[in-house]
Amino acid sequence: MKCEVCQGLLEEYLDGELPAEDQEQISAHLITCAECSAGFAALTAEQEMFSRYDRELEVPPFLWTRIAQHTVAAKNSMNLGWRARLAQLLTRPAVAIVLIASAVAVVYWKTNPTLPRNGTDPNQAGVKLTTSPNPQDQKTATTDHRSEQPGNSNQAWVGSVPPRGSVGSPVPNADTTQNKPELLASTPRRKHKIKPATTIDQSDVLSSDLGYFDIDDRDTAKHIEQSQLLLRSIRNVAVTDGDEEIDVSYDKALSQRLLNENVVLRRDAEMKAKFPTKSLLADLEPFLIDIANLPDHARAEDVRAIKDRVQKTEIVAALMGYQDRGPNNR
Amino acid sequence: MMKRLTVDELNLDAQPGAFAGTLMNSSADLVTRACQGDSEAFRLIFERYSRPVISFIFDMVNDRALAEELTQETFVRAYRALGTMRAETKLSTWLFGIARNVARESLRARARAGSHVDLADKSVMDLSDNKPVPVDGLLSKELNALVRRALAALDEDKRLVFTLKVFHQCSYEEIAGITGFSLAKLKTDLHRARAEMRKKISPYAGVGYEV
Repeated sequence: MKCEVCQGLLEEYLDGELPAEDQEQISAHLITCAECSAGFAALTAEQEMFSRYDRELEVPPFLWTRIAQHTVAAKNSMNLGWRARLAQLLTRPAVAIVLIASAVAVVYWKTNPTLPRNGTDPNQAGVKLTTSPNPQDQKTATTDHRSEQPGNSNQAWVGSVPPRGSVGSPVPNADTTQNKPELLASTPRRKHKIKPATTIDQSDVLSSDLGYFDIDDRDTAKHIEQSQLLLRSIRNVAVTDGDEEIDVSYDKALSQRLLNENVVLRRDAEMKAKFPTKSLLADLEPFLIDIANLPDHARAEDVRAIKDRVQKTEIVAALMGYQDRGPNNR
Repeated sequence: MMKRLTVDELNLDAQPGAFAGTLMNSSADLVTRACQGDSEAFRLIFERYSRPVISFIFDMVNDRALAEELTQETFVRAYRALGTMRAETKLSTWLFGIARNVARESLRARARAGSHVDLADKSVMDLSDNKPVPVDGLLSKELNALVRRALAALDEDKRLVFTLKVFHQCSYEEIAGITGFSLAKLKTDLHRARAEMRKKISPYAGVGYEV
């Protein structure tokens, strides 16, 4: 093959878009031709550089809430009975405020000494109020300033650490009074701890988002978590004797993305002398490469081979061990 | 046929990871279930594809808030049109196709409204000199700004194919499906986009290969 021909096809070769025959010819040419080989190395380096591009963009937690309101929630609300509709109504901030105001009024009425209490001591007859020992508790909850939609109330942070990239993100619906200083001002100084109307849904909070203040650590933890889940998925594939092909298109695509991330994170770990992390990522890489190179409909035996290797090497346990260790022990 | 274990069988739901459920359902299953009114299936589709979709839209419009808004629009449209999705179409290709239309409509609307669409955000990069810097020496923020600015300077078609190929690893066939471009056009656009990106980035990043 001539160099001009080879160089004209290098990008397609890099993209894996050439027919097998051309692919083989170029592979053979690259072994013997230093100039074309250097060109291909430069293209690969360029590709790797682009794989480091980070938009610093996160999917905001409220986005699903908004979408759900226009899609699944809208559809579901058409099918709800009166009880479900009532329950839904009670989760709305406006209704919650009315209920809170009513509760405050009841408390005021019960604790007001000027009102008779059927023979009981007015100072002892009031409702026992739960007072938060720490005024900061009241500040941990803030409502999302960007989205005040009713369904947003199910999003939450854990503790005081918000999910990555979600400063000012949503928080629990229950204490809507936090957003209503005028309402608090009209109440006694005692702080009423109001029981949340609904259980806080923490399913959107990744464990890896907690406790990582270093962005690299957080990225690595998230990467490890996703890789671990991918490998568990492969490990738990049930391959029966009759299987000829297995649809691994999603796993393959995910693996390709994770592989790109892995290369970057491994190098970063090496540069920062985080050798245990680097070593773990180096161990992980062959698995990602193997999965990424599977065809969309892989042969059952190929999948089984990867599955067996995942089991034998206990890579999943190693990844889980990383997640269990603190950021300072990596 | 292979049988994937369900989330319950693996007890993954006990884990806080948002990805727990997403690996165990094929896209085709999720689409079928979502069409039958399974809201959880649609939520899993969102979890699986929201990140690539918002990234893709951000690459196209270069505006964070707008990208969020258009991602919302993309998934709402997708939900309403799920029933029309053909069985042989890949869900990712289909979603990117919708995202592409949504982004394009937005760019057109802004252009028609007469507002200047400044995709090359001047604030994103202000490197103090023009000396080449080895790529490893580039701080990630500088690299991000550099790539973002170079990307914004591409014309829409080139930006589209470059983003889909380089950042989202779509095959040529998938890109053709998403964009409606012929194979020849997308190859040409991709080649030119790479050359333009290289031209803009190589002075800083030391990537100097001329194809």
